Amino acid sequence: MFRLLKTILLWDLLQGLWVTFRNQNPKYICTEQYPAERPKIAERYRGAPRLNINPDNGETLCIACNLCALACPENLIVVGSARNEETRRKELSTFTYDTSRCMFCGLCEDACPVDALELTQDFELASYTRDGAIWDRQMLEEGPKPSKYLS
Amino acid sequence: MAESTFLDANELVLNMGPQHPSTHGVLRVILKLDGETVTGTECVIGYLHRGVEKIAENRTYIQFAPYVDRMDYVAAVSNGLGYCLAIEKLLNIEAPPRAQAVRVILTELNRITSHLLWLGTHALDIGAITPVFYCFRDREEALKIFENYCGARLTTHAFRIGGLQYEVYDGFEQEVRAFCDMFIPKVDEYEELLTNNRIWVNRLKGVGVLTGDECKEYGVTGPVLRAAGVKWDLRKAQPYSGYEQYDFDIPTAQNGDTYDRYTVRMEEMRQSVRIMRQAIEKIPSGPIMAKVGKVVKPPMGEAYVSIEAPKGELGYYVVSDNSTQPYRVRVRPPSFVNLQALDRMVRGGLIADVVAIIGTLDIVLGEVDR
Amino acid sequence: MADEEIPANAAPPEGAPPKAAPPKPAAAAAAGAHAPPKPPPSMAATPWESPLTGSLKQAFGDQISQYSTYLGQNFIVANAESIGSILDFLKLEADFDYLVDVTAVDYPKAEKRFELVYILYSFASNERLRVKIHVADGTKPPTAVNVHVGANWLEREIFDMFGVEFEGHPDMRRILLPEEWTGFPLRKEYSILQQDDRWVKENLGIESGH
Repeated sequence: MFRLLKTILLWDLLQGLWVTFRNQNPKYICTEQYPAERPKIAERYRGAPRLNINPDNGETLCIACNLCALACPENLIVVGSARNEETRRKELSTFTYDTSRCMFCGLCEDACPVDALELTQDFELASYTRDGAIWDRQMLEEGPKPSKYLS
Repeated sequence: MAESTFLDANELVLNMGPQHPSTHGVLRVILKLDGETVTGTECVIGYLHRGVEKIAENRTYIQFAPYVDRMDYVAAVSNGLGYCLAIEKLLNIEAPPRAQAVRVILTELNRITSHLLWLGTHALDIGAITPVFYCFRDREEALKIFENYCGARLTTHAFRIGGLQYEVYDGFEQEVRAFCDMFIPKVDEYEELLTNNRIWVNRLKGVGVLTGDECKEYGVTGPVLRAAGVKWDLRKAQPYSGYEQYDFDIPTAQNGDTYDRYTVRMEEMRQSVRIMRQAIEKIPSGPIMAKVGKVVKPPMGEAYVSIEAPKGELGYYVVSDNSTQPYRVRVRPPSFVNLQALDRMVRGGLIADVVAIIGTLDIVLGEVDR
Repeated sequence: MADEEIPANAAPPEGAPPKAAPPKPAAAAAAGAHAPPKPPPSMAATPWESPLTGSLKQAFGDQISQYSTYLGQNFIVANAESIGSILDFLKLEADFDYLVDVTAVDYPKAEKRFELVYILYSFASNERLRVKIHVADGTKPPTAVNVHVGANWLEREIFDMFGVEFEGHPDMRRILLPEEWTGFPLRKEYSILQQDDRWVKENLGIESGH
């Protein structure tokens, strides 16, 4: 009897409508106004790779040990090194990182013994060309510079 | 001899997918129809095949770990856990208790995100537009915890062989607690929207029945098996990663129809919150990584380890030849095996129910095709 | 090899006086120990005994050649021809009613190169068991579909990936790969680059740069 009344009075419908009505409350709004607002990115976010430089003298931290290239599952890191005749040490000459194949697993930064290679919070990696996705040493040190369409 | 024309034929062959929104990816189902009744199906799969098992043979054990996240991409943490447990079994080591507790929390959180995605899309298939927004809104909260913990939202690569790579961040416990407190009323809210809704009930009750015996015959596991009344959950049957310490129930239902699978999954989300609450209270202190060398090189041998993924039994059969690369990695994907039962479930039903049944099986094509 | 021949050649001149006789077997033993550098490492599986193995031995005798356990996981090695009856026996008599997985491992150097692994689970006793059979390239093992319906797609996948055909299977076609695919990807000799090379050559007309 009670059930019949519920059915006739569309109780289930009203119940659902009440839920949707409650959710009209502006405090439930969760849309992010990207790109007008920058989204909040986690500290450990694994985004664009960066080759850190020593802030004191502007030299790269990378010691060209090639461990990141060995750790990479996709084999997309190529480390070029040359021996400096003066200091008798191996120094980084080129560093190529193919972000088009990268899956941002973070194994390269785990492998790096000197914290030179790091996956940063930058996430705007889109590029108009395929070549643009292959980053050289300069780009890795400076970071991506996405075009800004909104001031 | 009279020529038969298409008008004489009772059977109509209809192609559903691979780009059909309700097939949840790229599943193609060839339906044989008599009027509106389905008389037979054939699944065409493999559109998303990437050869994960072949990739495994060409990577080291450590390097292969990120790839497993890409199979069941809505439950990447579970995939990673299964893989890590399998290699740990081969190495005959166990993750430290602290790592195990964090693993349990993240895996249960992942079960919730997976079920939320299922609920949203399943309701969308049936025609209820609203739940998907709420589900994705709340799923976002869980994904934020993943992002804060390991730096990725979907393909997390959260666990490493032997334990964890990352220590939990400051505020992890508060965030998980806040999520637990927030989430239980939300589940009630979804239930308010759907459980009694007459369209929902009429569309789901008695549709796609699969009995317990049929489930066992086909090897169907997970919520589909439990909805058929078989109280079986690997977390209880063969506990791994310290699940035996936690107190939780295995939700079951009796009829094995689509509606029961819905209720089972809703209850599973509540149970996951229960496990997380217990685990977060007693995360032991200590190391997060067992003694594993930089190079993982298990002794010659083989092991099969399976876990209860959100979709069912996810197993890894790994053969080692005492080198740094696995000789063979076989993934026992729950979605692939469960999808096989689709034919039995839709046969004799109506064409509109096919959508409901594909939705209720909760398949992820990334895992079916690998 | 050069190291081993030196003591072997050095032994005969020393072998003439009787007191040098003892070094000869020692040298031979040392050479013997070095000639195969190590015994080829194999799985350190231990024999497995239980009531189930007793009943299996009684029912199948020499059809099952090995009962082993490794890392707490039991497996048996059986003859390929009797796999159907073994699975049937295990299902009906021992309650192994859930076929978890069927898979294969390729050992190209072995005489019977494919090792087919049937992973079974018993709901009643909460136990797992692996049944292995060895199959040579080209021979057709009997299908398990008659015992476990769920083996259908799993066996199709093995055919797809390894090229092992199953006798009596209702629908032996490729499942994941397209019908026109050549080769069987999970065989060890199948290189992941060859497909890529061919595709690039056919469709782009250039050499693949990897």
